[in-house]
Amino acid sequence: MIDKTYQKKHELWLSILFASFAIEDEAVKSRLYDFSQITFRHMKWLAKEILQNGNDYNYDRDMMLLKRENTFDIIEALSEELQAFLPHYPANALGERMKTDDAYLQTYLQEVLRDPKNNKVITAFNMERKYEDLDQAQIDALTLFLFDESYKEYELILIYSYMQARTKDLLQFDIYQDLIDESHFHLKSFGNMMAQLGILALPRELHEMTYIVKDLDQFIKDGIDEEIAAKEMCKELSDAINDEKLSKFFDFINYQENYHIELMKKLLK
Amino acid sequence: MFEDVKMPEGMSAEALEHLMYPKNYGKLEDADGIGVALDEKTKEYVIFYTKLDNDIIKEVKFATNGCQDTVVIGSMFTEMIKNNDTEYAQKAIAKMHDKLGKLTPQQQVCADIVFTAFIASLKNFENKQNGADEELHLLKMKESCEVPQQEGEKE
Repeated sequence: MIDKTYQKKHELWLSILFASFAIEDEAVKSRLYDFSQITFRHMKWLAKEILQNGNDYNYDRDMMLLKRENTFDIIEALSEELQAFLPHYPANALGERMKTDDAYLQTYLQEVLRDPKNNKVITAFNMERKYEDLDQAQIDALTLFLFDESYKEYELILIYSYMQARTKDLLQFDIYQDLIDESHFHLKSFGNMMAQLGILALPRELHEMTYIVKDLDQFIKDGIDEEIAAKEMCKELSDAINDEKLSKFFDFINYQENYHIELMKKLLK
Repeated sequence: MFEDVKMPEGMSAEALEHLMYPKNYGKLEDADGIGVALDEKTKEYVIFYTKLDNDIIKEVKFATNGCQDTVVIGSMFTEMIKNNDTEYAQKAIAKMHDKLGKLTPQQQVCADIVFTAFIASLKNFENKQNGADEELHLLKMKESCEVPQQEGEKE
């Protein structure tokens, strides 16, 4: 049986995460990002519990990221989504934990809503695509890169989580965790950049053909090829962009991919 | 429809809208035909769901693990064929091929994988009509997305 609570949690994670990308205020952004990470851990624990109970879950979604115009619109929508989750908590220790975490987040959201100074204009969806001194060709290249790579990082987080929930091998579990953590950082970096450009959008939904892996070795070999391609894309972008800070950032991401390849090699038998 | 799409040289607002909010993306639980086009080299796939009312394409969805060009083309193509008949859809492919002539060879492959998945979904419907027990119809791509760079193409 497919557990729908997991889908709701998955959607809630994305809502909190993308709210953190959209909101410019550093304090609110940082707090929401922390909560998104807590919610992601809820997903991990929920997945384990669902499988232990002999049920299953998938990565289906039924949500949209609406173009919100101000901070309060985002916070109010998030608050309503949290409220709607209330009937879905399982009646056990994990349910209690999730409930108290979400209640604390709700308290924080209400605190933000109480101060009108927190209500700022949101530019994350305005599609203006302006970034420092980059010219149009560089902006176009950066745009395509961000759409491709933000999807890819989201995809990797979910695929590795899916495999981590199903492995009994501690070494594999540990490597998946490292790869998931790395992809969280990349997704955060790319998401915030997309918001800065005014093109923040949800990564598209994963089809089960993407995350149900039948041949792990082949999947890892293909994954290594993809990492090499991603490295090349980072290098091309770094060379093409006339912005020292941005070029250094993409070089930094490029070097991180080297270590991902090493981690992935350890997964090969 | 594709006049304004010049990726990646200069992205139109229409293409950007399809990137941010792809149309008809996802699964269709009660599809009449399900088709998959697979690039074995890159493992890129497009899965296409078609729901028909006689010859009219009443509902259509697609999903892919491919690049953004595939997403944009899939989004535009599904918008184009929805609520039209299958004959129109076949013509739309030819029409879009003309328009997409301006794209790079890699983008052509992205377009072809979308069209092939659609054709596979119609084949699946036809096979089932003829009594076959076929969950989905798979077509493998002849050309891979890994197209070598053309001479003079921007490095």
